[in-house]
Amino acid sequence: MIPLMLVVGIRPYNRRGFRLWIPLFLVWLLLLPLVLVLLPLAFLVLLLIRVNPFRAFLTGWQILAGMKGTHIEVQDGKAWVLVRIF
Amino acid sequence: MNEERRRILEMLSTGKITTEEADRLLAALGSQQMGGSAAATSESAVKAAPKYLRVMVEDHREGTGKGPTQVNVRVPMQLLRAGVRLAGLIPQSALNQANEAMHEKGVLLDLGQIKPENLEELVNELRDLTVDVDDNGTKVKVYCE
Repeated sequence: MIPLMLVVGIRPYNRRGFRLWIPLFLVWLLLLPLVLVLLPLAFLVLLLIRVNPFRAFLTGWQILAGMKGTHIEVQDGKAWVLVRIF
Repeated sequence: MNEERRRILEMLSTGKITTEEADRLLAALGSQQMGGSAAATSESAVKAAPKYLRVMVEDHREGTGKGPTQVNVRVPMQLLRAGVRLAGLIPQSALNQANEAMHEKGVLLDLGQIKPENLEELVNELRDLTVDVDDNGTKVKVYCE
């Protein structure tokens, strides 16, 4: 299952921060027509560079699906940054 | 260390038994201890398959006086697996260049040798591994969860 939601949070030191919830399922829906248009082109390019396109697409999909559950949180004296994918 | 284990090691150190015998005895002791809860253990082993790789860094050295630098990263194992599969798609010439660059930096690793099946082994081994580094105010912890 590909990730459906992205959370980005930023809080500068001593100031009010924000947390942005980005609905990825809407982004995927918006990108879908573009992907469908570019898919044959990508297929040809992969064939030209002698990479198995099916394997490449499968790996790309697995990377996308594997991102679900990623959590990155960095904090130093100046700011706090959070990226969560789920 | 329990009493039986200590006794076996003492017998080995005094030369009453050979290393092979000690090894067999320790293995038997281990299986005996695990035997009672074999079902529970196998169940927990299945459950304990790590899903994430966690990297935590805490740096107290250089600071702005407003607190330490903290990094907390959780990477799904699925992403690591997919990354390894992606490495399998990289052309050999690019792999060679990457290997050379890593060798120059002192990392003796051949990317061409990393295969998905090897990764599964690595992931299984990582289950019980925790890397804990504490050096001059910098703490690094890497573990699976």
